[in-house]
Amino acid sequence: MIRTEELLLNVGPQHPSTHGVFRIIIKLDGEVITEAIPVMGYLHRGTEKLAENLNYTQIIPYTDRMDYVSAMTNNYVLCHAVETMMGLEVPERAEFLRLIVMELQRVASHLVWWGTYLLDIGAMSPFLYAFRDREIIIDLFNELCGARLTYNYMRVGGVKWDAPEGWMNKVRDFIPYMEKKLDEYNNLVSGNEIFLARIKGVGTYDAQTAIDYGLSGANLRCTGVNWDIRKAEPYSLYNRFEFDVPVGKIGDCHDRYLLRLEEIRQSLRILKQAVEQFPSDGETMGKVPRVIRPPAGEAYVRIESPRGEIGCHIVSKGKSEPYRLKFRRPSFVNLQILPKLLVGETMTNLITILGGIDIVVGEVDC
Amino acid sequence: MGDLLLEQLTWGNALIFFLSAVVLLMIVLGFVTYAIYFERKVIGWMQLRIGPNRVGPFGLLQTVADILKLLLKEDTIPRKADRALFILAPVLAYVPAFAVLAVIPYTDSLYFADLNVGLLYYVALSGITTLAIVLGGWASNNKYALLGGMRSAAQMISYEVPLVISIVGVVMLSGSLNLRTIVAEQGNWFWEWNFLPQIIGFVVFVIAAVSELNRTPFDLPEAESELVAGYHVEYSGFRFAFFMLTEYVYVYAIAALTTILFLGGWHAPAPFLDFVPGLLWFMLKFACIVFFLFWLRATFPRVRVDQLMGFGWKVLLPLAILNVFVTAAYIEFFIKR
Amino acid sequence: MKGLLKGLGVTLKSMTSKKVTTSYPDEPFVMPDRFRGIQHFEPDKCIVCNQCARVCPTECITLTGKPNPDPEKKGKVIDTYDINFEICILCDLCTEVCPTEAIVMTNNFELSSYSRDELFKDMEWLSTNNKLVRKDNNNIGAPTKGGGK
Repeated sequence: MIRTEELLLNVGPQHPSTHGVFRIIIKLDGEVITEAIPVMGYLHRGTEKLAENLNYTQIIPYTDRMDYVSAMTNNYVLCHAVETMMGLEVPERAEFLRLIVMELQRVASHLVWWGTYLLDIGAMSPFLYAFRDREIIIDLFNELCGARLTYNYMRVGGVKWDAPEGWMNKVRDFIPYMEKKLDEYNNLVSGNEIFLARIKGVGTYDAQTAIDYGLSGANLRCTGVNWDIRKAEPYSLYNRFEFDVPVGKIGDCHDRYLLRLEEIRQSLRILKQAVEQFPSDGETMGKVPRVIRPPAGEAYVRIESPRGEIGCHIVSKGKSEPYRLKFRRPSFVNLQILPKLLVGETMTNLITILGGIDIVVGEVDC
Repeated sequence: MGDLLLEQLTWGNALIFFLSAVVLLMIVLGFVTYAIYFERKVIGWMQLRIGPNRVGPFGLLQTVADILKLLLKEDTIPRKADRALFILAPVLAYVPAFAVLAVIPYTDSLYFADLNVGLLYYVALSGITTLAIVLGGWASNNKYALLGGMRSAAQMISYEVPLVISIVGVVMLSGSLNLRTIVAEQGNWFWEWNFLPQIIGFVVFVIAAVSELNRTPFDLPEAESELVAGYHVEYSGFRFAFFMLTEYVYVYAIAALTTILFLGGWHAPAPFLDFVPGLLWFMLKFACIVFFLFWLRATFPRVRVDQLMGFGWKVLLPLAILNVFVTAAYIEFFIKR
Repeated sequence: MKGLLKGLGVTLKSMTSKKVTTSYPDEPFVMPDRFRGIQHFEPDKCIVCNQCARVCPTECITLTGKPNPDPEKKGKVIDTYDINFEICILCDLCTEVCPTEAIVMTNNFELSSYSRDELFKDMEWLSTNNKLVRKDNNNIGAPTKGGGK
């Protein structure tokens, strides 16, 4: 009799499609996965522990490096948490700038996702098209705050830089450009039968499972749950703008794909309104004490990052350093459903599902 | 060349045959060098880049530099690999790739072997390469390579069937397996070429051919984002170069075969264009097919392995068989020789 | 089939469209003024207040002062000033807190080298790194004059 053995395969830590140093040990029966064990921590830098010895301003550059594809939202969640604890007022102009950069960041982050997802699936050109358009956003950020990826732009009580001369016009020009490019993306990929066959019905889960696993962002909305913190618990100035929260129906990779593309469109819609309403002058920095010492106590704030609900929990003992700082990282939480989704799938679908979850390993390992 | 082939084999003739084989090898190597360059340029342009432009004028020597690098690289054989098979695999992959070129006619007078079963010879020999790929994947003793090798075996065997059956229609129309006769049977106007009367066969052939070449969207055996590099993941240096070479020689062979079977070989698209030499027409059609392959690569994502098999057996094979019956009915009712 | 053809159309159109790559090492990459590159340090302006070393999140700045050689003047002057670019994250906080703008950012960003030792930059290197110095040093959070002690 022929005896068959399971094949134990190490996917990662060095693998082109794990988006960084992430490892999955899978047991294969032919090409079908019978068990998957994710191993994370290869990019662990101890951000939360380091933060306990740093004052709040010093933590901001560390948050840049958690979700390095979407540093602006990370900046914001920390600043927002400290501001909430101290009851600080942020000037309107600063808040507008924050909102505009966060939405631009959401577009940029989704573009990275779109490009790399298609690269995972085997198409190479979309990656370069996406990066061409992301480059425009990166250049805008570079002009605004002097860095292309790790912005360190926001401060407790405001933002570091006011928009330079002509910057807002560039953002205004970018919006119609990006809308046109989105149509091009749809022509290139969204109707492609090979691509649709690859992602339709793959990695499906229902709303209850998604909630049980604590998923958020597009991973939750693809099941039809209408939960976007920008709408549900408006922070910043989101209640001033009109936008829709796209939701899916089936909860498969195709829904997540469509959602993220639609979110780009909605972000552009917010940007269009924000650029129009941008106050012509005003402070960019509120009245902030010279040394930031939140009162003793705890606070948890959450915002909608491109990947889902990013939260920041600060425990303060009234010192200038936090007693304990905890980030709820959406990539980490969203990843937890992976072993469940992978069982019974093929090796090829592993890449499709992992890519569809949209993780950033810097954020998973923190 | 034709007269020479019919003569008695003497030492002098053998020498001429040998030399012409060497010349063909050089031409093929030259083609591969510039096909890689052309591919990188075309894909570069389609991806808003400019492609290689640093080595030599317009980057023309880029591939030469790459090959040189591969030659100079340390030749590594994994310790746990099956040494003999590991060394054998690239050779076994390349030899049939080059051998199939013997039957391809370029013009009425320029050809290397006038085989009356040329088409069968092509199909039979190209099947051996599959074996080499499985062998390479197995001998590497690497799990990714093994998966790649297995995929490739499944894929190439299941796509060889529709590939062969899709050609049957052409064979029936021209009544010969000889590639020269097949070209000669195609008319002087471009609508008399086989690709229009045999449109189903043509489409099936192109799809199956792309799959046989392991190129996007059927590049599963080397699926970079899943299997890292598939069957040749452990190969480096010159052995890797041989696998690469095999792939591009097959691009050459398939492009030439498509030209001959469906696009009228060296015929001009209209009789009044006959003043242009046939070789040029051949090369033009040939280049268009090569460009098409690169264009596909710049656009499409990869097919999933189960869908690939399903597509091959459930769609392409029935279509190809249908094509055979339709062609047979057509010949029976309209031509009846 | 329609989707496939549409995709082919997009790539074919891109073939002739404008290329977006730059020939970077041949042509220098121009950064906007606010770009945070390698710091420039002016020893004469430094008052040895130690704020930059304290605010640095990665503790990559080390500095020592010495008594002012001019006995009539009070205060200290800078003796050594080193930045370790192995761990510097170019976060801009040191230039932000500097009350005298002794340390400022430049637009230079080419730090790569063959040895880690070369990434340890001393005062002399930093003070000669005076090309493309950033013009706008928006010192938010910096103490107003005299308040830094």
